[in-house]
Amino acid sequence: MFLSVGVRFEANVEALNMVETAGNYTKHRRVPYLVEEDGKLKTVYVPAISGESLAHAYQWSLVKEALGMNLPVCEDCAKGEFFKSMNKAHLKKKIDPIPDDSKKIEATIIKSCVIEDVGGFLYAEKPPVRRSSAFQVSYALPIKSMALFATAEPQLHARHAQMDAKGKKGNVSEQMIYYVETGTALYGFTFNLDLDAIGVSSLGAGPIVPEEEIRARREASLKALFRMLSSAQFGAKLSRFFPVGGITELTVVVTEHPFVVTSPIYDSYIERTKKRLEVIKEAFREEYFFDSTNEVPEEVLRKAIEYLKEKGYV
Amino acid sequence: MAYPLLHIAGDRTETLEPKRNARSSADRIRPLIEWTTLKVSGKPRVYGSILKINRLHRGSVESAVTSFPMAVMYGESDYTLTLLYLLNDDLIRASEFSVKDFERAAWGISRIGSRESVISVESVELGKGRIMEKEIAETAYAFPLTGKKVQGNGVVQGVIDWKEGIGNYSKARIMVMFYPEGKVKVEGRLRVIDVGEEVVL
Repeated sequence: MFLSVGVRFEANVEALNMVETAGNYTKHRRVPYLVEEDGKLKTVYVPAISGESLAHAYQWSLVKEALGMNLPVCEDCAKGEFFKSMNKAHLKKKIDPIPDDSKKIEATIIKSCVIEDVGGFLYAEKPPVRRSSAFQVSYALPIKSMALFATAEPQLHARHAQMDAKGKKGNVSEQMIYYVETGTALYGFTFNLDLDAIGVSSLGAGPIVPEEEIRARREASLKALFRMLSSAQFGAKLSRFFPVGGITELTVVVTEHPFVVTSPIYDSYIERTKKRLEVIKEAFREEYFFDSTNEVPEEVLRKAIEYLKEKGYV
Repeated sequence: MAYPLLHIAGDRTETLEPKRNARSSADRIRPLIEWTTLKVSGKPRVYGSILKINRLHRGSVESAVTSFPMAVMYGESDYTLTLLYLLNDDLIRASEFSVKDFERAAWGISRIGSRESVISVESVELGKGRIMEKEIAETAYAFPLTGKKVQGNGVVQGVIDWKEGIGNYSKARIMVMFYPEGKVKVEGRLRVIDVGEEVVL
């Protein structure tokens, strides 16, 4: 089973994905949009949130869900440090001595950590072992019809400190100014989850953990998405720049084999997704789950999980 | 294409021969595909922050040092990529897959490109084609540039020759591809195939 989710959310005055800092100026991540004007192309930079940022938030939610369900999470991932058994130093925490057999290494990692099972890993030593992530996430980009209204604007802030009387500047207030670039846009992004990949070897060795635990891991993966979206716990600087707004539309599709919702950056994405699903049903006799809402996103996510429970997948 | 196709087959293997010369399991599918190419809508532009860095620090080596084999199409317009897979009926019949499996897999292509951006397939069409020899043709689909004269605009890029194997990119041969902007006129010793109202080299 393959789950694909399209999310549209409004975020005003957010600092969800900051990049380089130049002096006291912290920049928001931006991407170029090409705009045609009088037959000529020009580049407009719009605020964006990277897929890496969203993936980190998802995996952090997965840590909490997995631990809450008594599923294994390795020491590094439990701290939110997703090294993913990248070298001997990290892998030795799971198995020591490290075997020479790729399949044994993969099995050890999958058994010890749900995050590396779902989020993939790359052990970059000899023998190298890689596993693709079972979930995929796009960048969050301003929706096309409103992209030109998306903005990134620096906001001036100041810190004050009373200087000690013995200090060089005497007993005066010292002020430090700094700028945080904030973005405002109606964003869209896509999230996919390949449920069949969870708990199964990517080296052709079949299931690594018992079927019951695979189902539990799938459930944790779905709940993590639920929690991440519902709580808007993704991106950075939430403590002082929590975005004003929320999810405006959410579309969920579950199909037997891979199928991706039309990107929510297009205005007609819901209709287009529905039409494409009809083709899948008619041409390939494949059942699917589809639901969409602009009111209560949690309800759609709940229904998708119920559908997968009915199918015996979780 | 390999990812959804292997999903349909229930095969979760993604690395072949992990111990020596590890290869992508896409290599299993590779012999079944005679040729693949694509066309782009709108006016593509090569862009990338890596290109900018190279321009600043290394002069004009831009496209040679990036794995970015074609143009970027961010923008307000609804740009699309049209991928074409040329399959050989006889080879498919002798394989574990059917043409129907390929059709379903095409609907399931979820990632594309060197960093595997998430995409959605909006339409899939199947058709029969006949290969012909020609000396002049007009095409909107990308083609290998060597030995051809081109009239029209487009982007030239050195890309990995996937027919030599998938996964071992450090030693793979680079082929020079031309990505047309709209249709271009091509002259040379051409092998072409009609695709609807269009031609693929």
